[in-house]
Formats: sequence, C-alpha cells, structure tokens
Amino acid sequence: MDFFSAMNVSASALSAERTRMNLISSNLANANATRTPEGGPYKRKDAVFAATPVEGRFARALDGAANREIRQVEVQQVVEDQSPPRIQYDPSHPDANPQGYVAMPNVNVIEEMADMIGASRTYEANVTAVQTAKSMALKALEISK
Amino acid sequence: MPIDGLFSSTIDILSKNIDLRAKQHNLVSSNIANAETPNYVPKALVFEDELQGAIKGNPTTTGSTTNPRHIPLKGGGGTIHSVQGQVIESPAKTPGKDGNAVELEGEMSRMVENQILYNASVQILTKKFEGLRTAIKGQQ
Repeated sequence: MDFFSAMNVSASALSAERTRMNLISSNLANANATRTPEGGPYKRKDAVFAATPVEGRFARALDGAANREIRQVEVQQVVEDQSPPRIQYDPSHPDANPQGYVAMPNVNVIEEMADMIGASRTYEANVTAVQTAKSMALKALEISK
Repeated sequence: MPIDGLFSSTIDILSKNIDLRAKQHNLVSSNIANAETPNYVPKALVFEDELQGAIKGNPTTTGSTTNPRHIPLKGGGGTIHSVQGQVIESPAKTPGKDGNAVELEGEMSRMVENQILYNASVQILTKKFEGLRTAIKGQQ
C-alpha cells in the first residue's frame, strides 16, 4: 500500500491545473492586445492534457493490477487557438486597416472566466484528494498506538 | 490451535481490507487528477464480493487447477491474502464532449466513502490489538 503514488498523481494534476490557470490569466490579460512579437493580434492559448502512466519506480513492475491502472496527468502541449480574430470597427486605432477595421484577439472573456472557475474547482478537488491520502496514511500509524 | 483462536482471521481480513482500500484511493486520485483529460475513462476497484467469498471459505477465485486431480486451494488466510480485486471501468452516464467520462461528484463521494470504511477498519484493528494486549497483561 502506498499513498505516495496517490499524492504524486494528485500533485501532477495540481501542477497541470496551475499551468492551465496561467494560460487563462494570459488570455484574459491579452484580451485586447493587437500586437505580438510574431505579428498580428494575440491568439488564445490552451493546454492539452494527457493521462500518462506513473513511471520512475522500480516497484511498478511488481505492483498488482490495481496500481498499474493509475494515471497521472501532464500538460502535453500548449496550442494556439487558430480561430479567426474578432473584427472590430475602430478607425482611430493605430492598427486599423484602410477600411477602419481592427483585428482583435480571438479571446472570449466570458468563456475564459467560466474556464477559470472549472480549473479552480478541479484544483480544489485534487487538494481534497491529497488531504484524504494524508489523513489515511496518518490513520494507519494509529494502529500501533 | 490456541494461536489460531487468539489471532483468528480477523487481523488478516482487516489488513487485506485496509490494503485494498488504499489501492482504491490510488485509483480515485487518478480519476480526480484526470477529471479534465480528453478521452479518459475512470476506473474503480471491486473487491467486496471476492473478499466476502474468501472469508466464507468458498472463494470466487480459487487457486488455478491445471489437472482434475489437483486439490483447489480454499478457506483460511491463504485465500484472503490472494484477494486482489478487479479493476473495472466506471464511466459516467453522460460523458462530456471531449470523451471524458469522469463524474467529479461521484468520485469525491466514492473517495469519502472509501476513507470512512478505511478508517473503520483501522479502528477495529486497533481495538483488536488492544484486546489482545489486555488479555496478555491480565486484569489490572
């Protein structure tokens, strides 16, 4: 029995959710950024999650079927949303085209806020899982009291 | 055997239960960690029936016999130790658009239930040892 793999799995999820939260912050911060080093307006960024087997332990090979099934989560890549920019009419804007239209980032602030609540709730669920693992491990020590 | 009477199979059953519940917690943690991973299907450990069968001495999984004259293993602590449980897929009834079938509420409640049953087993085991200690020391 090892609660440490449960804690490692939850920790991997906490770090993945934090990455996601950073990207959401970046999207919100740049919701009106029309200039980027690559040129053009800012493009919305999103994390791609992947379930990966827990590795790096010799004992893994000797584990039972139940422990071979556990998966941690990692951010495999960060993708840019390729959907078209939001076109806004603002002739006074320095980046406006001759017709007076500006290409704004393809960030929908409301969607980002909803995504942020989702990331925060998942983070909390994983914190609870770590707390539970900890209290179960400590409870086992009470046997010898 | 007096030693058998003293320790009986209670300790075996409880420790096996604690072990399997720890494994169950690992799986639930894995499900919660992957609550946002596309195409992830949650998994659960089922062992209750198998453990009960092993306790009653008519195990659902007997030692494999490759010859009709082999005597199947059954009863006693041996089969309780061999209970491993089965890992099954437990997808939600309505998977999300990305193919993720984790139901966070279900997983959280399963985690809490598992923790309570784990704590109960630990507590009973502690009491069992306390009883033995009293028996060894005698009335004081």
